[in-house]
Formats: sequence, C-alpha cells, structure tokens
Amino acid sequence: MEQKLTDLALIQNVLNGETAQYALLVKRHQRFVFTLALRFSKNREDAEEIAQDCFVKAYRALGTFKQTAKFSTWLYTITYTTAMTFLRKKRLDTSSIHDEGTIIQLENHTSGFSANGYEKQDSHAFLNLAIAQLMPDDAAIITLFYKGEQSLEEIGEALHMESNTIKVKLHRARQRLKEKLQYLLKDEVKELL
Amino acid sequence: MNTIEQQLWDYIDGNLDEPSKKAIEEKIASDAEIKSQYDDLLKFNLSFEGIDLDEPSMSFTRNVMESVALVPAPVAMKTKVDKKIIYSIGSFFVFSLLALFGYVLYNSNLSMPQFDMNVNFDFNLDQYITPTTVYSFLFADLVIGLIFLDQFLRKKMAQIKKA
Repeated sequence: MEQKLTDLALIQNVLNGETAQYALLVKRHQRFVFTLALRFSKNREDAEEIAQDCFVKAYRALGTFKQTAKFSTWLYTITYTTAMTFLRKKRLDTSSIHDEGTIIQLENHTSGFSANGYEKQDSHAFLNLAIAQLMPDDAAIITLFYKGEQSLEEIGEALHMESNTIKVKLHRARQRLKEKLQYLLKDEVKELL
Repeated sequence: MNTIEQQLWDYIDGNLDEPSKKAIEEKIASDAEIKSQYDDLLKFNLSFEGIDLDEPSMSFTRNVMESVALVPAPVAMKTKVDKKIIYSIGSFFVFSLLALFGYVLYNSNLSMPQFDMNVNFDFNLDQYITPTTVYSFLFADLVIGLIFLDQFLRKKMAQIKKA
C-alpha cells in the first residue's frame, strides 16, 4: 500500500528539486482553497483565479515557509491575502464586500427559494446555501473552523485577526447562519437544527 | 458579550477552563431551559458536518502546474542565502572601515613629541587616480546598472505575460 506523504515531506521534496510533487500538494488542498476563495468572491470564475494565483504564490514563497506552523494555515493566509487583493482590484462592481447592499442583493437573489419547493432536498444543501449567503468573513470563519480543522488561533493567523475576535465573529456567524436557515426553511428549520 | 448561549458554545467548542466547564455543566444539569438550549446548539453544531467543499474545474491542477513551470524552482532559504554573499558583504564592510581608518590617518599629522617620534603619512593619491582607474570604475558601474536593468525588465515581462 502506497504511503501518503505528509505536507512537510512533499514540501521538502519540492525544495530538493522534485517540483512535480507540488501537484500532489495542489490536489490535496485545492478544494479547500477554492471553497475559501469562493466564500470571498461569491463567483466561481474569480474563485478559480484567486485559488490558482494563491498556489503560484505559495510555490514562489515555498522556500520561506517556516515549518513550525501547519502548511494549511500558511496556505489559507495566502488565500485570504490574495482574495483581498483581488477583490480590492476588482472592487466587486465598485462596492465593498462588507457593504450591506451586497448582502441585500444576495438575499433578494435567493428570495425566490421557498421551503415548499425544496422540501425533499437534502438539509446539507440548505446549510451550504445559507453559508454562501453569509458575509465573506463569516462564511470563511465557519468553513475554516468546521472543515479546515483550524483552531481559533490559526484562523486568527490566517485572517490577520486576534483569536478573541475570531471567537466573537464565529459566535455571530452561527447566529446569522441560524437566521438565514430560518429564512430559507421557515418551519422546517426545527427539523434541521 | 458573555450570554448563556456564548458560554454554551464555548463549552461545545472546548474553549473553557476547568472551573468554567464545571460551572456550565452544573447549569445544564440543573436548569431544564439551559439543557434544552444546549441540546439545540449541539444539534446545530452537528449539522455543520454537512458543509460541502466546492470542486474547482477539472483542469485546475494542470493550470497551476503550467503557471508554476514558468517560475524559478523554489529553494530553501538556507540554500538561497549563499555563504559567499555573507562573506562578500562582511569583507566589504571590513574594507570600508579600513579605508576610512587609512583616510583618517592620512589626513592627520600624528606626532608624538614625548617619544620624539614624528609620523607623517604623506601619500600621493593623485598617482592612483589615473584615467584607467576612472574608466574601470565607470565600467563596473555600467555592468551593475545593466544587471539591475535586466532584472527590472524581466520582472516587467513576467507581469505583462501574467496580465
């Protein structure tokens, strides 16, 4: 049985000249990096560009990676910085990503969803839909905490925030998520939660 | 902000110290309302297992590897900082200090009457400043300038290609 190399072993191999092994690192982390980029950009094409840019930046800076932290945390820091730079450049139709208008627009866009039409759909789909409607920071924190196996400190490092701020933000994000689910599922929310 | 809900979340996330943990456990055990709230949050917390990760396009890895192929292969920082560079910088500073010291000596008239010694460094610098040394100096400057120009143009080209 083929033994799976750790991130650090793969990095070491890449630094020793086996650059093709970087593809294994990309494959291992691409879904998460892409999802994180999507949380910020809310657009698949932009997310793909951000994620690709992020991996190229990580490759360039691989020699400077201090192997004291997790590679994933380091990678998510690059993803966050790349996404912010990208969005600043693009300015998302000249409005901030934190702009309430952006959120309202998203809410209006999905207001056609009624619980009746989706009764039989998997509850996971609603959860993912609700997360997609959260503000970028909230969606990223929830994703990093539950799917990225990142501690509050590591999330803070990746998003350039204090761990206490992350804790408060995570709490608020859960509350907002609950509200979104209540909005999407109405009465059925009790079955899901 | 330290509502009961926040405390319950901290308990679920495992962020509480031992005394706070025991305190919240007692509250859950003694208060039916808090117990019900705790059960709801626990259920909600479990639902997060259903978060899906999105899949990028099929050609994603290939695209990354194609972009990466244009970039110089990364090397560990230790390898990158060549010892020769460190020695060159060090010797440059040593040489500069020696030159400065020599210049000070040259411009001073060191006399020690007590020892009945009169030291006078009287170098004729003009004999060293010849057209050949001036041209050599300018040539070295030109080479350094060209190296920097080359690096600058390469960076520009890479940016244009990327755009």
